Amino acid sequence: MLTLLKQSLAYGWRRLCSRKLYIAAMVVVPVAFAIYFVDLMKEGLPLKVPVSVVDLDHSQLSRRIARNLNAAELIDIRHSDLSYSEALDRVRRGETFGFFLIPDNFERDAVGGAGATLTFYSDMTVFVPGTLAFKGFKTQAVTTAGGLVATTLTSMGVNESTAQSLLQPVVISNNPIGNPWLNYLIYLANSFIPSVLALMAMLMTSYTICDEIKRQTSPQWLREAGGSMFIALMGKLLPQWVIMTVVGFFCQAVLYGFCHSPLNCPLWHMLLAMALMVMGSQAFAVIVCCAVPNLRLSLSICSLTGILTFSIAAYSFPVPSMYPAVGIFSYILPMRYYFLIYADQALNGVPLYYSRWYYAALLMFPLVAMLPLRRLRKHCLNPVYVP
Amino acid sequence: MNRYRDNWLTSLFKVWRREFYLVFHDAGVLLFFFALPLMYPVVYTIIYNPEVIRDMPVAVVDHSRTAQSRELARMVDATDGLEVYQYAPDMGAARRMMNEKEVFGILEIPADYARCIGRGEQANVTYYADVSLLLRYRQALLNLTDVQLALATRYQQEKIASGGLLLQDIGGSPVDVQSVMMGDPTQGFASFIMPGVLVLILHQSLILGVTMLAGGAAERRRRNGGFDPMAVDAPPTATILGKVLCYVAIYIPMSLYALHFVPWMFTLPHLESMLDCLIFIFPMLIAASMLGLCVASFVTEREASLMVVVFTSVVFLFLSGLTWPRYAMSPFWQLIGDCIPATWGVEGFIRLNSNGATFAQESHPTLMLWTLAAVYFSVAWLLVRRFGLFGTRRAVR
Repeated sequence: MLTLLKQSLAYGWRRLCSRKLYIAAMVVVPVAFAIYFVDLMKEGLPLKVPVSVVDLDHSQLSRRIARNLNAAELIDIRHSDLSYSEALDRVRRGETFGFFLIPDNFERDAVGGAGATLTFYSDMTVFVPGTLAFKGFKTQAVTTAGGLVATTLTSMGVNESTAQSLLQPVVISNNPIGNPWLNYLIYLANSFIPSVLALMAMLMTSYTICDEIKRQTSPQWLREAGGSMFIALMGKLLPQWVIMTVVGFFCQAVLYGFCHSPLNCPLWHMLLAMALMVMGSQAFAVIVCCAVPNLRLSLSICSLTGILTFSIAAYSFPVPSMYPAVGIFSYILPMRYYFLIYADQALNGVPLYYSRWYYAALLMFPLVAMLPLRRLRKHCLNPVYVP
Repeated sequence: MNRYRDNWLTSLFKVWRREFYLVFHDAGVLLFFFALPLMYPVVYTIIYNPEVIRDMPVAVVDHSRTAQSRELARMVDATDGLEVYQYAPDMGAARRMMNEKEVFGILEIPADYARCIGRGEQANVTYYADVSLLLRYRQALLNLTDVQLALATRYQQEKIASGGLLLQDIGGSPVDVQSVMMGDPTQGFASFIMPGVLVLILHQSLILGVTMLAGGAAERRRRNGGFDPMAVDAPPTATILGKVLCYVAIYIPMSLYALHFVPWMFTLPHLESMLDCLIFIFPMLIAASMLGLCVASFVTEREASLMVVVFTSVVFLFLSGLTWPRYAMSPFWQLIGDCIPATWGVEGFIRLNSNGATFAQESHPTLMLWTLAAVYFSVAWLLVRRFGLFGTRRAVR
């Protein structure tokens, strides 16, 4: 048994070293993606959203509003436009992500109590800059409005602290747990980088298994393992698992070490999750290969699910808000459990007890993959290549 | 020696016709060229179609237990985005609910909440948010701000009336604030992400199909000792243009479906005219086909195309600036993004589609797309000339 395993491992290792494509897929792609992602979002939050201001009033008050807008951290006034249509044109050309409109006679109407309206337009076709522009505009607009009321109130003889509590009797302060800066890199990298690794693990597994069938070398592969499909798969997948898990650890080192992404749990919780996630992805691909032992089809299915993982594993849109019939599919993906473990352990630092089922679910994938091996064995013994 | 017996136009037509034959006799390519652009837009939109988060459960820890604090909890419950899941006796119990994923936020009302309001002091309420998903945090933030403003108006009016001031003197506020959300008024997630994703699906499926066709040619050549029986002997320009014309001819109906019919079907934001959309996307199809032909030189096997191309979808998605805006990228990544047709396709299309921009306002992306098409055409031409790519004869690697 042990000699067979050794023999099979040697075979698997030889095949793995035979093509540059494998090294590229297992090591270069995930590592390069991690570096790309981390470098792309190294600022964490894309502050200084380019916006414009349309000042139709040109009064002392309106100029002060424009100056205050420009001093805000979130937005950067790149242009002063003469009209609404000019500002709108800029948004449609993609030069700015919104604009702030001060109507004419604003100062006269506001100070005189005749009622004036500050309007701001945020471009929501691109969420992040749109939301940031909205926040920056709103803060400024509300402070301006509030300041004017406070002035009116004090001029009527109300003292300043009463005026303040009149303006905002209740303040709800928000505390984002774990990521108080709302850092986008921390938010996205922890799900997207492992997801690319999972995608490549799935592709590698189905490629290497079905390539044996395509090249009609699968009987040889089985012979090296003494005819046991399980040992043959171990010989093939164990070296890949080791390599990709190490790559996964490297990605985690980049995240927790280099990016200082929160790690509010003992490190081994996340290392274990990574090792199990890679194994789960491999097992997922094995199941696919058993169902369709055809190189092109199994690869297509693996890449389709691998790419869908980014959406359906709910890294951005939550599962409870999806249609139930759609949301249920997120639980057949290993990455979903890794993501839940990350949110629980690394981000929120809750006791391991609450994540127990996620680890168990990751362990289920290899176990389920063992069930249909006989079907794969049959196809490996009679390899037929369907292009 | 006259290598090409036919004149240029005839060979162009022959390449074009042969490419059609190859496409329709390859199940793998058919999957990429037809099934993918037909199915994926629908699948993706269905995933995101609920658009916004409704009734996200939160726990309330009420240390005040007064009529005012209960009113606050009721107001939170009444928002469209939040729902009071349960009252928790203390923070520990609320924490446990959060750990069990029963709630995704905790609202803590301090013991002196009602007293502060009665005295005319500011009352501070704290909200603790789970930020594993920023969308949840965003929803809570927007709703709580609304509650805060509603409470302010209510207590202001009470105070002013009881203080003997005239309501119309203040009238709430002399300055109104109005916010307009352009492009995606409901701030729904599908309306935001789908227009970009649709373009990306077209781009990626096209490249996948083109590289798989090239992989098939490479395999035929290997089998036949460097000779591809299915290739047409034609000048390099005719070879490239003939292939590209075939892909574009297939993708124009696909683009109509994905960019026009799908937004209409799901009532996503959809302002552009069919014609503008087609004129705009045409150069992207050409540029993407040319890029596919260039990438194809790295693909020596049909299935290897998947390994080479699939993961780039995620890379291109981020380079296009849909999630992370392009102005915040370093010049290096901007430059890389500039070289990808999808970047300009996504950028131009979402403005045409969601912001109601005219074709003239998207002149810059259009120009860039034509430039890319020209650049990749030259690269492909060099590859064909120098290395005999796609020719009948080519040395076995």
